Amino acid sequence: MPNVIEIRHLTKTYGKCRGVSDVSFQVAKGDIFGFLGPNGAGKSTTIRSMLGLIRFQRGSIRILGKDIRTDREGILREVGYLPSETMFYPKMRVKDLLRMAADVRKKDCRKEAGKLCQRLQIDVDKKISDLSLGNRKKVGIVCAMQHRPKLFVFDEPTSGLDPLMQNEFFKLVQEYTAEGATCMLSTHVLSEVKNYCKNTAIMKEGKLLCVDSVANITRTSAKRVKLQREGRQESYLYEGDINELVRGLAGHDIQDILIEEPSLEEIFMHFYTPDAALRQEGEGSPAGRQEDATM
Amino acid sequence: MFTIYKHELKEYVKSLLVWGICAGGIGFLCILLFSSMQESMESMTESFASMGLFADAFGMSQLSIATLEGFYATEVGTIHGLSGAMFAAVVSADMLSKEEDGHTGEFLFSLPLKREKAVLAKWSAVMSHILLFNLFCLSLYLAGIFALGGEMDFCRLFLYHGMQVLMQFEVAGICFCISAFQRKNKLGLSLGLALLLYAYDLIARVVPDLAGYKLFSPFSYANASDLFSTGEIYMEGTALGLVVLAASVAAAHVAYGRKDLAV
Repeated sequence: MPNVIEIRHLTKTYGKCRGVSDVSFQVAKGDIFGFLGPNGAGKSTTIRSMLGLIRFQRGSIRILGKDIRTDREGILREVGYLPSETMFYPKMRVKDLLRMAADVRKKDCRKEAGKLCQRLQIDVDKKISDLSLGNRKKVGIVCAMQHRPKLFVFDEPTSGLDPLMQNEFFKLVQEYTAEGATCMLSTHVLSEVKNYCKNTAIMKEGKLLCVDSVANITRTSAKRVKLQREGRQESYLYEGDINELVRGLAGHDIQDILIEEPSLEEIFMHFYTPDAALRQEGEGSPAGRQEDATM
Repeated sequence: MFTIYKHELKEYVKSLLVWGICAGGIGFLCILLFSSMQESMESMTESFASMGLFADAFGMSQLSIATLEGFYATEVGTIHGLSGAMFAAVVSADMLSKEEDGHTGEFLFSLPLKREKAVLAKWSAVMSHILLFNLFCLSLYLAGIFALGGEMDFCRLFLYHGMQVLMQFEVAGICFCISAFQRKNKLGLSLGLALLLYAYDLIARVVPDLAGYKLFSPFSYANASDLFSTGEIYMEGTALGLVVLAASVAAAHVAYGRKDLAV
């Protein structure tokens, strides 16, 4: 399957400040690609470099086979972008804003915009200045989708949306990707990545920590161990030889035990706070690897 | 590009109306007042002419305030010159920086539009607003002039207003260039700059040692008294104005095209 996004060795610094360093990953056609990382990890810098909003010092970015440095306009014609801070011209009405975006694209998007506004329950006669954060976000979603782009880039798309609208948003994303579009979803919400993304990249401090399928990332040798012994409930992550764990537990009076895969949240935390989880503190007793004993 | 141009025209239409009505309306009323003040103006002409440097600064030593042309040049010329420069500063001060200040840059520049084209569309909107402002004001001034009988050297009148447009383009060009480098609205700075250039022109006309340096202010070649009394263009000042205008717009174009947009 051809790659829609190809980023190689992307490096961007802001003067002496860090931006992103040596970031490389690809996103295949039809994928819903999760882009995870805490604030300041470099997600937005990567996205803005992809859209030509900022200039990068090293590396290359190819989107839909085109180089962002030489064919930015051609790329943006096929991209729908929703920024995390969705701001528009406050004096405009929603319908005028949508028409303006369509006119710049030289496309008649009225039919698609009408459908999207209906599904997202947007009043197109309202002024932008009268919209709440959530409604502004919805207008941003319509702006990003109304021209039926080949690639969607969403930066924190669900912040400010109520759960019903979040659900409707992901339905729309799935419908468009089923028709061949590709989606890059930058988010803090791990459940969104787990529920909707096939592949994901994790950023930290301007560097790419890993790129893999969500299934592979959650498939780890670490196990979440929950047990009840000697009247106490315990829970910890164990990583190591499973036989060691069983032997370690053998001498204890255990009333109940559950050994399962760690959640995506726990894996995410592993990448950002290595002291907090997935510790492999020696090969001693399971109690020695206890993380959060009281449940 | 035309979409952005149209959008920017709409964005500043209220400013255009407010400034146009104020400047044009005051100028119109001033012209109408001339007939009732004409007699007293005649007696004031001699005393104004003998006021030395003050009269030089406001052009009253070159023209008789008792004539409609003289009155127009000294009174309407001052009002129109100042308000035109300030309007030019208002429409250009945040033309580029507002996209970052209002966080709309991510929306606008994620559309398939070359940044250079957006700059061109915005500059075209600035020029259009200045032209519309001047047309609106000139229409009111002409209405006033014709209400008084229509006796005026129209060649000099149109020359003056043509040079005013160029002066306002220059002020706007400088403010537009400042806007390209800024991430916040610098309306205060731009208005201050317009007033400073006006003040510099006044001082350069009063202080003999600065006479050779008056060309540094765009007001030097758009001065109503000079244009109405001589009917000639101040070539050095105009040439420098054109160079500054071209350089400012080109610098804005290059700087904004290469800039990392803040969000």
